[in-house]
Amino acid sequence: MKPKTIEETKTFTQMVARKQGWVLTADSALYEDLVQGLNTNWNRYGYYLCPCRDTEGSKEADQDVVCPCDYAKADIAEYGHCYCSLYWSESFAKSGKAPQGIPERRPYK
Amino acid sequence: MIYEEDLMFDYVEYTTVDGPNKKHDVEVYALSTCGFCKRALAFLRDQGIAHRYIHVDLIPIDVKNKIKESLHEQFKEHVSFPFAVIDGKTTLIGFLEPDWRKTLLD
Repeated sequence: MKPKTIEETKTFTQMVARKQGWVLTADSALYEDLVQGLNTNWNRYGYYLCPCRDTEGSKEADQDVVCPCDYAKADIAEYGHCYCSLYWSESFAKSGKAPQGIPERRPYK
Repeated sequence: MIYEEDLMFDYVEYTTVDGPNKKHDVEVYALSTCGFCKRALAFLRDQGIAHRYIHVDLIPIDVKNKIKESLHEQFKEHVSFPFAVIDGKTTLIGFLEPDWRKTLLD
């Protein structure tokens, strides 16, 4: 599989945010880290595994945590941002609050 | 000085970071791709807290799974990252700076 560039990964995150009605993290250092993590995961596994989740060993097993993960919508509704804090709600962005670690919503396997 | 018997798992190689604050024994399981893991490790470094860490996404998956199972068994907690073991007894899961500050600096 052709490796993706950081720019391609940034475009992916922008497209997801636009489609879902979210905004990207306003923390630019965190954004760069998360894009780097996502890019690493694409080039390592062949799909955008959430940078803050570890692989179960296959795309099928990781399906629910491929970015944007199945839990992002609920986490953004409850905490204002997704688990890794890449995507924020517009209201969280306007609040000026800093993101923080949130509980893992994914059921334990 | 880290003694072999202090390590949770002697079959993996931890990266040791020295610091003047040695009040607690701090061992961190992290992902090299994760933003909050990076911040947690930066917090420890910036606060001068001696610790050791391992990026579990960079080791073989069967070794990682073995570690996760053992941590789960020992601490009865779901293993998500960063996962810090303090003095071999308690845990800090996810990076909530006020919690880490309270546990490690107060």
